[in-house]
Amino acid sequence: MVRYIFIFMIFFSSSLSSDIYSQKCVGCHRDMPYSLQEIFMKYLLAYGGENNVKAGMLHYFIYPSKDISVMPKGFLDEKGIMDHGYIGKENLQRSIDRYWELYKVKGRLK
Amino acid sequence: MLKNRVTNLLLANEKRSLYRFLILYIVMMIGIISLISIYYYQYQKQLMMLNKRVILSDYASEQARKIKSLHFLFPEQNIYPRDSRFVSAIYDLEYQKIFSLLKSNEINFDRELYITKDKKIHFIKSFDDYYLGAKYLILEIDDDELWLHNTWQNIIIYGGFAIFIFSIIGFFLLNLFLSPMKTSLNIMDRFIKDTTHELNTPLSAILTNIEMMDLDAINEDNRKKINRINIAAKTVSVLYNDLTYITLENDIYKSNEKINLKNIIEERVEYFDILARSKEISFTLDLNDSFLVVNKNKFTRVIDNLISNAIKYNKRKGHINIKLFENSFTVEDLGIGIEPDKIRYIFDRYSRFNSSEGGFGIGLSIVKNIIDEYGMQIVVKSKINEGTSITITW
Ligand code: HEC
Repeated sequence: MVRYIFIFMIFFSSSLSSDIYSQKCVGCHRDMPYSLQEIFMKYLLAYGGENNVKAGMLHYFIYPSKDISVMPKGFLDEKGIMDHGYIGKENLQRSIDRYWELYKVKGRLK
Repeated sequence: MLKNRVTNLLLANEKRSLYRFLILYIVMMIGIISLISIYYYQYQKQLMMLNKRVILSDYASEQARKIKSLHFLFPEQNIYPRDSRFVSAIYDLEYQKIFSLLKSNEINFDRELYITKDKKIHFIKSFDDYYLGAKYLILEIDDDELWLHNTWQNIIIYGGFAIFIFSIIGFFLLNLFLSPMKTSLNIMDRFIKDTTHELNTPLSAILTNIEMMDLDAINEDNRKKINRINIAAKTVSVLYNDLTYITLENDIYKSNEKINLKNIIEERVEYFDILARSKEISFTLDLNDSFLVVNKNKFTRVIDNLISNAIKYNKRKGHINIKLFENSFTVEDLGIGIEPDKIRYIFDRYSRFNSSEGGFGIGLSIVKNIIDEYGMQIVVKSKINEGTSITITW
């Protein structure tokens, strides 16, 4: 019985977290002056490759700081920095992967 | 200039050193020319690359500007900028392809400019800001190889000219080296020729008069003396014949006929018998019929020289075996032999087996000369103090 609950929980949590991106990230970012696309392009410009971008983003989410943010200084002064860490490292990681897949340039140029 | 056959023949060991000089000269010449060619080729290639670099870095800055502006328009605009003068690609800093129009996928990220195996020139520009995520912009153009064509053309033209000049210089150098050798050979030849000419009349007078002499009419003591004169005259006669062969253009050495060697050998052994007897040397003849189409007088020089050498370099009470088969002729003596390291030089003119015996040392060079002319082979086997055997095969 315990085993079934355990399996169910894993199943549930994973289906939940795969969609954590659309649930959390998109929702909160919808009303921001910088679209997720624009932010993505800023990351790409600053970090280059896939691993670099993902690692840089995760690092920022856990240790946010004005010095390493890609956002314009004026924006940050006005809005302050956002600590994304509450979502959990695991979930952040998944969201970042999803984020990358959705916006990456590779394969989308013609 | 004296007109004779052997003036231009050099001694074998001199020839060898000449060949060595020639080979050294040619190797050096080719070495120098190819070294220069390689440097020239590399210089031309660098020059070409330098030109391409200037052009390509212009193209690259232009393309970079377009990529930069596309970065801010993406993804509403997603058409990668193209150019008719080149094709290009962008790669990220993990060397992952972002987009590529390249025909050659052989990309060398360590170099800025290079030629691929499929003859494309690649120019790589790396960015500090990763527009569209790109770290590397790679431009590709065709290597038209015009420079290569021109370079080769120049190498062939100037290289050929250099070879020509070097050859002329080499020819002069060679003549410079040869002229003292030639002069000394010429002097020797001229001297021998003049002397030979003067010998003819007195020598035939001596030989015919001895022939005609009635030996019965003179006493024992004088007969011995006459015999000695005969031996001496025959020895001189062999030498005389050799000398005329090498120094005078003589008609008697021109026509070929079919001869039975057996008869000639018998006749020559008979002729030399008196010489052999003076050293108490005996002959063993094993003669089979053997026919050859050769010049009789020339071939007689071969036989004479082999037999007279066998007598000359034999010991007292020695022995000579002469064997004639259909395809070979062997003269074997049990004489003093030749030192192994000297065998290769015995056919050189003016070389002698051994300085204790007189002679010009021209006999075997004549033999070799005639044997070569008829395309026959000659093999010398010799052991010091045991004897020498010389075999001619055809
Ligand atoms: C509670 C609202 C909220 C949620 C949820 C949220 N974000 Fe943000 N995010 C912000 C705000 C506000 C900023 C701007 C302040 C800053 O950059 O720190 C921001 C900035 C960012 C940045 C730019 C970071 C930088 O370098 O400045 C990225 C990338 C980002 N968010 C991605 C995500 C992703 C991916 C998720 C989903 C896991 C997510 N956000 C969830 C509010 C949110």
